[in-house]
Amino acid sequence: MDPNLMGTLASVMSASAIGAAIAVLAGSFTAIGQGNIASRAIESIARQPEAKGSISTTMYIGLGMAETGGIYGLVIAFMLLFANPLVNRFIEVAGLGG
Amino acid sequence: MNFDIQNIGSFKIGGIEVWITETQLSTWIIMGLLITFALVIRVKLNKFKDVPGGLQNIAEMLVETFDKFVKDSAGDKLMFLGNWYFMVFAFVLLSNISGLFFLRPPTADWTMTFGLALVSFILIQSMGIRFRKKQFFKDLISPNFIFLPLNIIGEFARPISLSFRLFGNILSGTILLSMIYSLAPVFLRVLFPAALHFYFDLFAGVLQAYVFTVLSLSFIGVSAAVSD
Repeated sequence: MDPNLMGTLASVMSASAIGAAIAVLAGSFTAIGQGNIASRAIESIARQPEAKGSISTTMYIGLGMAETGGIYGLVIAFMLLFANPLVNRFIEVAGLGG
Repeated sequence: MNFDIQNIGSFKIGGIEVWITETQLSTWIIMGLLITFALVIRVKLNKFKDVPGGLQNIAEMLVETFDKFVKDSAGDKLMFLGNWYFMVFAFVLLSNISGLFFLRPPTADWTMTFGLALVSFILIQSMGIRFRKKQFFKDLISPNFIFLPLNIIGEFARPISLSFRLFGNILSGTILLSMIYSLAPVFLRVLFPAALHFYFDLFAGVLQAYVFTVLSLSFIGVSAAVSD
């Protein structure tokens, strides 16, 4: 293979990996939100211990909803790492595939 | 280190090659387990006794708990959905914890979770039309007809977020565990992964099965609720 093209391919692959790492960072904000949810739930359980059952049920639903943003970032990272759309596109454009 | 969905074999039907994947294998194993359980209960409890005991107790407890759960999250008039969602809950739960038994969890395949979420989507829309009738279409253009595309996108985002939530949780657990098994030194492969198995397979699995069911049910409940 042409060493020039190979260098470009390597840079596309590394850009995919860096992009995946940045996409996973979406999880940090999810973590902040989930921490808020849990702390508020604990506060309300402390205020009304008899409503513990329904509060924790609602809390789990809220945690599940808040998780969605982080999961989207995770799915994008999986796509960049395992489905390799950018690398495949580069191979197609450069005509490297057999 | 390999966590792609492996092909086990293929056969040909009329010139079309049909592949059998790991997902299908574990799906059929779980289906077999559930069907066997159902058949055992059906045969053993051919005559229901007034005073339950043993197996009948367990079966009644499961069904009653789930019926109450459906009633709490979706409402009285949607009780018939309990049949379908009990099945979904049992299937998703067994799928999520099947990673413990050397199977590849079927829910770590997006096609499986999207199929389940698509049924929820169809149920959300059809129950909305059935119980709210004209109000359902009026709510699509509320507060203004400019919001119609936004509302439609919001409806279509639901099955996608439902399926990605389940898929992402289970797939990330599977990938992390297989990475640890292949990267950790041998003496760390004995006890250390047990804690991770407990968290990713048992805790996250049970929680995600619960969240999937309760979110689908409450979406349907909200969609079917007649507001003023």
